[in-house]
Amino acid sequence: MIKVNTEDFPWHPGMTVRALLDEKLFTFRHIIVRVNGEFVPEEDYEKQLIQDGDDVLVLHLMAGG
Amino acid sequence: MERYLRNHDALSEAEQATLAIDRVLVVGCGGLGGMVIECLARIGVGHLRVVDGDLFEATNLNRQILCSTMNLNRPKTLAAKQRVMAVNPLVEVDAVQANLTVENATSLLADCDVAVDCLDNIPARLVLQEAAKNAGLPLVHGAVAGWCGQVCIVQPGEDLLSILYGDAREDQGEEVGAGTLSFTAAAVGALQAAEVVKLLLGKQGLSGELLLLDLLNATSNRIHLT
Repeated sequence: MIKVNTEDFPWHPGMTVRALLDEKLFTFRHIIVRVNGEFVPEEDYEKQLIQDGDDVLVLHLMAGG
Repeated sequence: MERYLRNHDALSEAEQATLAIDRVLVVGCGGLGGMVIECLARIGVGHLRVVDGDLFEATNLNRQILCSTMNLNRPKTLAAKQRVMAVNPLVEVDAVQANLTVENATSLLADCDVAVDCLDNIPARLVLQEAAKNAGLPLVHGAVAGWCGQVCIVQPGEDLLSILYGDAREDQGEEVGAGTLSFTAAAVGALQAAEVVKLLLGKQGLSGELLLLDLLNATSNRIHLT
């Protein structure tokens, strides 16, 4: 089990950041991902593995006023 | 006082008196800032410093409560001051026709109790966070994109906006493609105003959490950032 935005979410071996985003249906084009507080650049989404117990933040980047 | 009668009993007389001597800095007088200013003036926050270097343009008409066909090409801060004078002349408005910069941020924060981030770009938001931190002031952040919005409070010593934006490679976010809607700005601005009032009155507010709104799906979520 991992945490995604404070809530529990099932983990599976080989889960990448990209796979998580697809499973969670995050569709915004501008997204900030942090795993255990560390920023993950977009070019690493396919290769960065998420480990069981990780705390993942997925934030839609919004700055309009 | 009759104008505040409907504030009671949600607020005590002592709390109402406290608001009258409080000072709030609102940076940005667009969709968010307009609603924040409207709410704070009506509830009776006594002193507002409103900051924006922009003039109204036709694209603001869809969502910015201070913008009308009568004040296009006029300063947003002037409209803010006129609106507050019309709604509640007991509120003192210091209208600053300028954009927030590293150079002027400290002086804009001077004498204020709370700062409100109603800006529309990431670099300026981070400048405001740094200045508020240096001044030891809480910052109430709000941002919108399309049907979605977010609110959080950055207490002195925290860097919550750096979690949200610190690694962004863009100056703006999803709003560039998703637009900005009237009710999203109104909802987020109203939430920001409520958090400001709670800070001023020492009530429990958002703490270390990001409140996310999705008006399309009518959902909200609170995420721990600290």
